[in-house]
Amino acid sequence: MNELTHLDARGQAHMVDVGQKEITARTAVASAAIRMQPQTLARIMAGEHPKGDVLATARIAGIMAAKRTADLIPLCHPLMLSKVAVELTPDEALPGIRIEATCRLAGRTGVEMEALTAASVAALTLYDMCKAVDKRMIIDDIKVLEKTGGKSGDWRPFEDQSPATEVLSVAQSVSQSASTVPADVGTSVHVRFFAELREQLQMEACDVPLEALSEPTVAALLNWLVAQASERAALQQQPQLLMAVNQEMVKPMHPLQVGDEVAFFPPVTGG
Amino acid sequence: MSDELCPDNVCPRYVRVQPAPFSVESEMQRLTQGRSDIGATVTFVGYVRDFNERPDVLALTLEHYPAMTEKALHQIIDEAISRWSLNGISVIHRVGKMTPGDPIVLVLVASAHRQAAFEACNFLMDYLKTRAPFWKKEHTASGDYWVSARDSDTQAADRWHAAGAPS
Repeated sequence: MNELTHLDARGQAHMVDVGQKEITARTAVASAAIRMQPQTLARIMAGEHPKGDVLATARIAGIMAAKRTADLIPLCHPLMLSKVAVELTPDEALPGIRIEATCRLAGRTGVEMEALTAASVAALTLYDMCKAVDKRMIIDDIKVLEKTGGKSGDWRPFEDQSPATEVLSVAQSVSQSASTVPADVGTSVHVRFFAELREQLQMEACDVPLEALSEPTVAALLNWLVAQASERAALQQQPQLLMAVNQEMVKPMHPLQVGDEVAFFPPVTGG
Repeated sequence: MSDELCPDNVCPRYVRVQPAPFSVESEMQRLTQGRSDIGATVTFVGYVRDFNERPDVLALTLEHYPAMTEKALHQIIDEAISRWSLNGISVIHRVGKMTPGDPIVLVLVASAHRQAAFEACNFLMDYLKTRAPFWKKEHTASGDYWVSARDSDTQAADRWHAAGAPS
């Protein structure tokens, strides 16, 4: 159970084959903090730093870093993230900035390394942005706050200890080509793509808010997906596109409900 | 990935989707052990060919839609049980990477009389090939491609509709 999965029987490092793991919706949240002189924090808040908007820069750095995790951590799988969000919260009690990074995807492996990387690089960027005025900053408190989805289920190892900080609305999310809008699971349908279609769209899965559709049907969902990005024309060029709702094949006019899992795929070729 | 035994002890069913190879012998034994009402078994094993859409297939990768695959296989088995009098069914389908000569799929059907087992096995494969969410990608020296669905498979499955069965 607690063996190191990145080591093989001879103790040598190897990349774990996750090809047979189930694809599930996975989220990880990681934190970091950077402590600084009170006046350094005050200058950040006042927007007086010589290098410009410190928080916005660190936030973008964190988002970009999450996308590069597999390049930095040797045995980490490259992942198709569907969402990365980095929140920066000034905390006068530290004094400094608290960082919280959230990564999400539908895939076979967890995203905590991406969340940790985002939080860490956001912290490093804050350091870089402020080092001209403060030489004694300390980066610490880098940890995984929460992980959901996957074999091990959901866990929040530090739940009792996380500081109740008021989050300023500096949160921002990105959607890569791998995703559509970041959506609240409570109002969305989960959409999955398989085989050639997944490769053509370069997308395994996404969440689509039901209210974005002209009507709650699979056909309307398909139209919406194609309208979002021109490269998704593949969805309509597939001559015999098959569709399933909650793992049952359906016709295009099949109605959709919040929480449904919708899948699009080409004709099957098993056996 | 796990065995599922139908509560119906007249026609037990075993459905598995797995990367590992299977043993026809042990699956057959599982189906027939302790049974004296079985008069016939029919075994179908599908293998990876070294020629298909291109003549030099080096390997094949099978992708599937977990959760839906098992559901679809059970529905196909339900349909077979509603059409023929059967005493047991095993369907094992491999996924992941395989090379020519590797077995991909096993369908085992047991019945009191041979005709039901022959027909049900044929039916199960025809329906599996057109209704279960598996996709093959072939790897050749000149590149990889997704295998196209064949009209002949669709026609093979359609003839069971024409046979006028409950559905």
